[in-house]
Amino acid sequence: MLERIALHQTRLHTPGLGLDSKGVALGAKGMVLLPSIDRLVALLSVYTRERSLEDLIAGLAMHVVRSKLGTREVTFEFVADSSDRMDRIADTARLVGGFTFTGTSRHFVQYRDAAAPFGYDATQLLPTDAAVALYGDRFTQTYDFERTIDLRALLLRLMPRIDPSTKAEPGPRILVAEAGLGPALVHYLIRSRVDGQVCAAEWPPASAFEDAPIRRWMMRIPDLPQRMHSLVHATPGITCFVPVGPAVAVEAGFRHPVELRACPVFDPAGLVLLRGRGDEPWEITRVPPMGELGAFAPVEMRTSEAPTAIAKGLELEDRVRVPLRVVPSSGPWRNVTATWIPAAQIPLLRRLAYSLPQSTLAGARVAVTDHGAFVRCAAGIDAIPLGTFFTEVHRNLYLPAGHDVAPAVTPELLARALGAAEGRVVFVGVDAQGVAVQEGSFMSLESALLQAPPWEPVVAAAIEDALSEAPIDLKVSSIGMRPTRGVRPPPTEA
Amino acid sequence: MGLDLGRVAEGLYASVMAPLVLGGALRPGHALGARVALALGEGDRSPVDDELVARVQWARVRRGRTLAPIDALAGPTAAEWALAAALNDLLQAANPAFDSPLRRGAAERILESAATTFERVPGIADMRDALSRHTWFARTLDIARTDVAVSWWLGRRTYQGVDAPARLRAWPKLRRVRVEQTARRSLDLAPLAVDRSGYAEAFGRLLARTPLTDLATCTRGAPTFGWSESTLSLVAARAGRVLALRALARLPDARVDAVLGLATRELLAQGRPAIAAPAVSLLEERALARAEGQLVSRPEAPPANPRGVPPVA
Repeated sequence: MLERIALHQTRLHTPGLGLDSKGVALGAKGMVLLPSIDRLVALLSVYTRERSLEDLIAGLAMHVVRSKLGTREVTFEFVADSSDRMDRIADTARLVGGFTFTGTSRHFVQYRDAAAPFGYDATQLLPTDAAVALYGDRFTQTYDFERTIDLRALLLRLMPRIDPSTKAEPGPRILVAEAGLGPALVHYLIRSRVDGQVCAAEWPPASAFEDAPIRRWMMRIPDLPQRMHSLVHATPGITCFVPVGPAVAVEAGFRHPVELRACPVFDPAGLVLLRGRGDEPWEITRVPPMGELGAFAPVEMRTSEAPTAIAKGLELEDRVRVPLRVVPSSGPWRNVTATWIPAAQIPLLRRLAYSLPQSTLAGARVAVTDHGAFVRCAAGIDAIPLGTFFTEVHRNLYLPAGHDVAPAVTPELLARALGAAEGRVVFVGVDAQGVAVQEGSFMSLESALLQAPPWEPVVAAAIEDALSEAPIDLKVSSIGMRPTRGVRPPPTEA
Repeated sequence: MGLDLGRVAEGLYASVMAPLVLGGALRPGHALGARVALALGEGDRSPVDDELVARVQWARVRRGRTLAPIDALAGPTAAEWALAAALNDLLQAANPAFDSPLRRGAAERILESAATTFERVPGIADMRDALSRHTWFARTLDIARTDVAVSWWLGRRTYQGVDAPARLRAWPKLRRVRVEQTARRSLDLAPLAVDRSGYAEAFGRLLARTPLTDLATCTRGAPTFGWSESTLSLVAARAGRVLALRALARLPDARVDAVLGLATRELLAQGRPAIAAPAVSLLEERALARAEGQLVSRPEAPPANPRGVPPVA
């Protein structure tokens, strides 16, 4: 049924079979018949070590075929552009135990080998409706397609093999950290001045019982320092991947059986992360925008809001300035919250303390100075009818009640000119002379007025000790008949 | 010697040393004498009652931690065994049973033996030693004997350091029984068969061997506190001075200042100011600490007056 093609033979019986420029019988397609899936994987593995599948991928088709006897085998079908490509694949197929055929549509004859340098031709074709009829020197068989094998799905289903050497390989790394570990890892990389990019990716929930997507941090590190390898490999929650192609990476410590760099089946816009131990691969359809690690560095704000290095204007000449005056005002009294009690009236304040309501005592604050006592009460000072009343015109700046300043400057300017700042309270009298009192010297009026008798804390401590320790009760026992028996002086010192 | 020192040590630990730390009934046993007291600490002696030892050590560490951050203390040292044995003799000398004409001599002899033991015990070797001794003997002056006076319709009887028999307290309403209990400190025991001054002096010698206790009880009535070589050497070291200051901080300030000032003045009156230097340093540190505390409680001084700012009142 199969005969060798002779030199200069031009007529062939097999439909779709022709001769190329070298005289080799060649159809439009090539086909490799393999006994099982693992042989197919072996074929891919061996072929992709040296060649890319890029030029085969356009016409590549893999099927599980079934013979009339019910046996199942695998076909690897591709476009046979030239006898050179067919030769390479035939050599590889021979290595893994496969048979190579060539043909165009249905009838495929055995590709050339050492016994037939120009190939074979089928003299008698099988009258069949089967999808494929293969004519070999040892067998002739028809097959029907049972199912198609998708190369991408096959590659994703293959479990990477354990290969610890990949952990030490130089090159870029892709780190995937669980949501809780991501920020800490990012800050660690920033502190260690490691360059890279980071993004947050989401995967669908692991089961139907979860409604929230799974979020992980993904980092692409071009050059991970050697000292960090053990960290990213051994820390639970951090998975390190070694990129093996433009859009595919394999977990460090594992190696995929097929050289994935030679398999252009992964979308460059996405990313496939193949994990070891039989875990499902992580697929990202579209890689989110990645930002530089430095963008996640902690930011610090200056504690002081005051602008720095502000140029100060020159001092105005004295001839421009006018002295401050405090003049009576016809306006109503507002915000009278302080009083200045001269030193001579402080005894009156002490006497008045016995009649002041509790709210006034609790809300008023007093500072006793050499100039007298200054009492402030935010709720109003009218309950203490002593001294000169003051109005708070600005924070920490007081003017006599019923008076205004001339020239009529704003309270802000007046406060700035008098230096009424935080921690200092300025009282300006009717003579336009000011007195500043440290805010820290103000204390609660009730605590200032109350003169509590002193007490000694050690008394409590002594009582505590006495209560916590049982008394030592000396018991008297009999002294015996010879109370000094055995009482001897110490040995004489040498 | 013909005496089982192990058994003696067991009895001493259970009846004197443990109550001295834990409180409870302290029962001084037969007088031991200076030779036995000094021989008790020979070798690595440890009581067999582990539960009692654990309780005592826990109480000692608790007391030690009031002065220093320690977590463990060793068992009794040879010096501490000897001091405890001598304290046993000292308390036994105050047994009222000696208060009879034919027995006073024996009490004097026991007291003399205890005093000799105190003299032969070496001073502290380091601060840990001082703290360890203090944890044993801190409550020495708290030892008190409870005297019970039982009176009924026909008579009255006093029991010193022992419980009154139940038959005397029976039918209290019918017999109109009245029981009066009086606690007497170890230095106030009466009747006393020995000379009271010698008795108090023996306590002073005991305190001289545990200087931290001496300082921690300086406000006591008797024996009066006075600077000794051991207390001066304790406060001469920085660590010892810290321990002493912490111990003194638990006493009333005014009393402490009065007692230490009086003792220091007596020391200076002896005309040897170099010896008194550690005591003066201790007083200086107390004065500085007090002044610092007063400064902290005062309000902060105002800052310098800037340009054009009114004067600070």
